[in-house]
Amino acid sequence: MNDQTPITREQRIEKLQGQGCSRKRVEDVRFTQGKGNYVDDIKLPGMLFGDFVRSPYGHANVKSINTEAALKVPGVLAVITAEDLKPLNLHYMPTLAGDVQAVLADEKVLFQGQEVAFVVATDRYAAADGVEAVEVDYEALPVINDPHKSMDDDAPTLREDIAGKMEGAHGARKHNNHIFFWEEGDKEGTDKALADAEVVVEEQITYQRVHPCPLETCGCVASMDKITGKLTVWGTFQAPHAVRTVASLITNIAEHNIRIISPDIGGGFGNKVGVYPGYICSIVASIVTGAPVKWVEDRIENLTATAFARDYHMTGKLAATKEGIITGLSAYVLADHGAFDACADPTKFPAGFFSIVTGAYDIPVAHVGVDGVYTNKAPGGVAYRCSFRVTEAAYLIERMIDILARKLDMDPAEIRMKNFIKKEQFPYDSALGWEYDSGDYHTAMEKALDTIDYKALRAEQAENRAAFDRGETRTLMGIGVAFFTEIVGAGPVKNCDILGLGMFDSCEIRIHPTGSATARLGTISQGQGHATTFPQIIASEIGIPAEDITLEEGDTDTAPYGLGTYGSRSTPVAGAATAMAARKIKAKAQMIAAYLLEVHDSDLEWDVDRFQVKGNPELHKTMKEIAFAAYTQAIPGLEPGLEAVSYYDPPNMTYPFGAYIGVVDIDVDTGEVDVRRFYALDDCGTRINPMIIEGQVHGGLTEALAIVMGQDISYDEIGNMSGSSLMDFFLPTAVETPNWETGFTETPSPHHPIGAKGVGESPNVGGVPALSNAVHDAFAHKGLTHTQMPHDHWRVWKTAQSLGLTE
Amino acid sequence: MELIGEQKINASREVVFAALNDTEVLRQCIPGCEAIEKTSDTEMTATVVLRIGPVKAKFEGAIELSNLNPPESYTISGEGKGGIAGNASGGADVTLVADGEDTILQYNVSVKIMGKFAQLGSRLIDSTAKKLSAQFFKKFAAIVETQGGS
Repeated sequence: MNDQTPITREQRIEKLQGQGCSRKRVEDVRFTQGKGNYVDDIKLPGMLFGDFVRSPYGHANVKSINTEAALKVPGVLAVITAEDLKPLNLHYMPTLAGDVQAVLADEKVLFQGQEVAFVVATDRYAAADGVEAVEVDYEALPVINDPHKSMDDDAPTLREDIAGKMEGAHGARKHNNHIFFWEEGDKEGTDKALADAEVVVEEQITYQRVHPCPLETCGCVASMDKITGKLTVWGTFQAPHAVRTVASLITNIAEHNIRIISPDIGGGFGNKVGVYPGYICSIVASIVTGAPVKWVEDRIENLTATAFARDYHMTGKLAATKEGIITGLSAYVLADHGAFDACADPTKFPAGFFSIVTGAYDIPVAHVGVDGVYTNKAPGGVAYRCSFRVTEAAYLIERMIDILARKLDMDPAEIRMKNFIKKEQFPYDSALGWEYDSGDYHTAMEKALDTIDYKALRAEQAENRAAFDRGETRTLMGIGVAFFTEIVGAGPVKNCDILGLGMFDSCEIRIHPTGSATARLGTISQGQGHATTFPQIIASEIGIPAEDITLEEGDTDTAPYGLGTYGSRSTPVAGAATAMAARKIKAKAQMIAAYLLEVHDSDLEWDVDRFQVKGNPELHKTMKEIAFAAYTQAIPGLEPGLEAVSYYDPPNMTYPFGAYIGVVDIDVDTGEVDVRRFYALDDCGTRINPMIIEGQVHGGLTEALAIVMGQDISYDEIGNMSGSSLMDFFLPTAVETPNWETGFTETPSPHHPIGAKGVGESPNVGGVPALSNAVHDAFAHKGLTHTQMPHDHWRVWKTAQSLGLTE
Repeated sequence: MELIGEQKINASREVVFAALNDTEVLRQCIPGCEAIEKTSDTEMTATVVLRIGPVKAKFEGAIELSNLNPPESYTISGEGKGGIAGNASGGADVTLVADGEDTILQYNVSVKIMGKFAQLGSRLIDSTAKKLSAQFFKKFAAIVETQGGS
């Protein structure tokens, strides 16, 4: 093999496009040309289309369903109802949270938009006509949309199917509308800290119901091949292997006869983790008709019926000294899970990782309690661009710290610095049981404050406030500071599983004879750029250029088993598996090189893309040469070939962190909030592709802006959901999105093979409190303590009005 | 949603009250009403086409008259099903007050709208309901005044 080896070592490194390189996204070649292949692009011969009849009521008995007229609609082949699914025992399906969810309404509907019947037709138009022709007779029932009223004595029982069953998936239920109570920490000690404290602040903080709203809605194509007995399902699945296992368990089709394929996915953000009635109905329809069946929800259906996020009603209490040292934290949450508990959390954590609520602070004692309740709202509670319930926790602690600072008349940045866990305290055991792997919070905060020139901003704000009081301006300036610690990379199999499936992940690497490679992972990109970044990890590990490595994900027939992509787990878990699989290859490559160079293994050292003899680098074998030898030579004591697989069970979570500062100008007369500047400093450990990190941060911040400034899924008192179209649900465009400034520090994770921590969700976790704190800060000197999100123009104007600031 | 209003009609209370019970008059006045049929002295069925914002639906519904206190007041209520567009139910308390030769018709309307109509048209429902109510009573006044003269 005559390698065209670049001359210098630097050129060899550059050629790899490995870790730390802002390699351009390989996915974009097809996306920018309109050549992506999404679920709705899949067209099979004879394919049928399914569409749902959905409930207009929030809570009603279904007295009868008349399908006669619908079946007469030309093109309509079948109308499936719960009665048809019952004999198959498929009218309910398991949720990821240990509950069950009605696939089609079983005698009653529990939320507006709930699936009542599934119409199967030869084309999409006929299916829609069929839906319109199905006559459903409802009897309206009283609606509960306020979680605070769910457990009232006289509250109507929502879930008749589990009424009286007082033992739930997460312990005892204290009311028919109660799902679970979960707690962590030292209640007695926390109560004592609060009782003994010099200063206590308490606040009710609600994180409103929002929705991930991915640009591509959920959908699938199910195809049952009656000849081979094999079921293939293409779908918008963030966890294809988990879907395969669940599908096998509930349909009794053997798992090897089910093939789940996630093609290109247009954004997930947690919305595509769960299992939806559309999947089950499409599979049933395909089995019944023998033809492929496609179901793709429209935007209203996506916002109305597939998984929402948040709806956390939190009470925070902080105990502190007069100097602002926090001595205790208590958090209680009323969690509105909607009609079915379809959260996507690791099984043992019904409130996710909400116990990260002590944040970046050295809080000696803390307690959290969470009550989950049913209401007449859509099910869900997924992690919308955050690890499980982490953004709720970060929002609570970051608002509480600001409220404490205000009470003590301290600067919000200063009080944070005072309470940070110090660099030398890592690994740090939090009061709520987590072992923070690493961190350097003071350095990150100082860098953020310097970069944005915090002192100058505060001076400008003082001038602005004086000018406002003199009547010279109608604009108030707000500065929002937030510091967050995430907990991502779920997770260690010893305590993290979903439906019993351990949350490890996997990578298989095959090096081909001519020195290129194919890698397959148990994860699935929904826009994160896996095909770009994972080859970079391999390139740095084994010296094959990233462009010579193809990444495949999302086909359960070929990819190794993994738990999928959400909760910023791909890099911490599958990224670690990738590095470990590469190291197995490298170990074998070293033996091959030793044979070829006729030296002992230990006489060799690794250098960029080759093994060389120590002290004599002229004697070397590149990985490309080694790969060729692995397939062409008989090497004593070694199997031919060069491939490896790794299943990685992470020893701990990773704890990325960041310091975010936002500056807003608020027009008190219109309530308009203009984000003048926003600086996001992220520490995600080792950085694999800085450009992709920056892109992730931009996207997450934009979603944070959306949540803080407008996203709101609300229900009226009779059960109507508002915010179900993009006319009402706020999705920022370039017009509303400010310029994001980004920065970083780099504190590698000590337990991750390459020190990476994950970053996809940090900007949402930190962005929400930073922007909300900025809005509050603008009015803080006028006496505002807390007001609920979203801070849309109307609410901000109402706040200004209530403070007597409007004209 | 609640709507309160009044309409002056140049006719006696007796004439106005009779018209309020006349299906033919009601058919002409109810915006979008395609058919109305009396099933008893106090009950009717109706077909109404309604459009709010981007959603249009044909409602099949029942109308009931109650609290009949001629010629002073009655309650008209109804419930309609618009298929996937949603459902609507509501009613109006109508009171007639003599004002010389004229009658002042006071109405207090309450409406509940469910489904896609409510989801998509929430910001349009109030204004649409106001517009439709105004249309109804204006047309009603015009018809009664014409008939009253004949």
